[in-house]
Amino acid sequence: MNRLFVRRNHRHPYFDGRALIGLCGLWFWFGLGGLAQSTASPVNASAPFSTRATHLLGLENTKSNCDGTLSLQGNELQFQQDGKPSVELEITSVRHIFLNEESKQVGGLPMTLGKAAAPYGAGRVVSLFAHKNYDILTLEYIGFDGGVHGVIFQLSKGQGDLVRNELVARGVSSSSGEDQRTKQSTAEVRRENK
Amino acid sequence: MKTSRRISWIIGVAAILATVVAFPGRLPGQTSAAKSSGATSGSSTQRNVQVYRVDAGDHDLAYSFQVAIYENLIEELNKTKQFERVLRDGDRNAGNIPNLLVLKTTIEKYTPGSETRRAVTTVSGATKLTVRSQLLTSDGKIVLERTVNGEVRFFGSNLQATHNLARNIAKAIQQSTWSGSEQSSAMLGAQF
Repeated sequence: MNRLFVRRNHRHPYFDGRALIGLCGLWFWFGLGGLAQSTASPVNASAPFSTRATHLLGLENTKSNCDGTLSLQGNELQFQQDGKPSVELEITSVRHIFLNEESKQVGGLPMTLGKAAAPYGAGRVVSLFAHKNYDILTLEYIGFDGGVHGVIFQLSKGQGDLVRNELVARGVSSSSGEDQRTKQSTAEVRRENK
Repeated sequence: MKTSRRISWIIGVAAILATVVAFPGRLPGQTSAAKSSGATSGSSTQRNVQVYRVDAGDHDLAYSFQVAIYENLIEELNKTKQFERVLRDGDRNAGNIPNLLVLKTTIEKYTPGSETRRAVTTVSGATKLTVRSQLLTSDGKIVLERTVNGEVRFFGSNLQATHNLARNIAKAIQQSTWSGSEQSSAMLGAQF
């Protein structure tokens, strides 16, 4: 008993060193995290940015529900459908950005047909898990003739925030979009509680 | 030789005559004439329409839905070819265009749905939209007023409801007996 007591209280020459190394490690780890956060938050407005997106509707000469690359370069927002010329939009013409989330079934038509064909209602069980949350990014912009246009993109969850931040850094207003997101989430909560 | 030539010529003429009698509307000249007469008889084809943005009222309707209704409405009205021009809200040319009508859309009822719920239960999770569509003249007279529904019940995303709604509004305008300012007072307040 005494021995244990003595051992625990015994000041080993290496003990202080280990603690110090541990502390340094922790400090270094959290420091790195902090550094990563501080480098991620500011958006460089001039740097090009691109992400995969699905054009749901609104862009002229572009098919609805088509996949492509949404990119921001300088003062232009571009959407390039795979293997086709890009459609460009001046960022200065964008008046508002709105962002909301939506849960969608994955797999498209083949998956839907497969689920319908599955026996004993197995398709329903698959549907229960085969859904994914997406960011729906809605832009309202003014055309050359002064007319109001709207474009809707579907992005992977989290990407919508990045695009919005990039657009806000380039001078687009997003205040209404914040309200919309709050309203949407409260509506969702109310629906869930019902 | 001569007789057989004559017979073939007669058969050819008879075939042409038979074709004319059997398919009177298929001749290109007649078709274009019919089209032009149809265009002049219906005064609505000479009309132009400006689509205003959707008024959500007090409903918690996602902005993506409002934009989708607006964009789908413009597309569907263009498809019907009932109006010479379909202008957007805020279009600067609107002031210079004669016979301009304004299409206002106000949300009356919105039931948010869920695609997953639809896929799992089939009977619940429908997204439903009910709007009041008003077609007004430039001096504010209501030419046509309809309450139109759009919904997605089984397959498709929630935004599909906006497409169905826009198609129903365009169809309602197309199928209405309204054909110009003469009938505007008769159609005032008409609903279905």
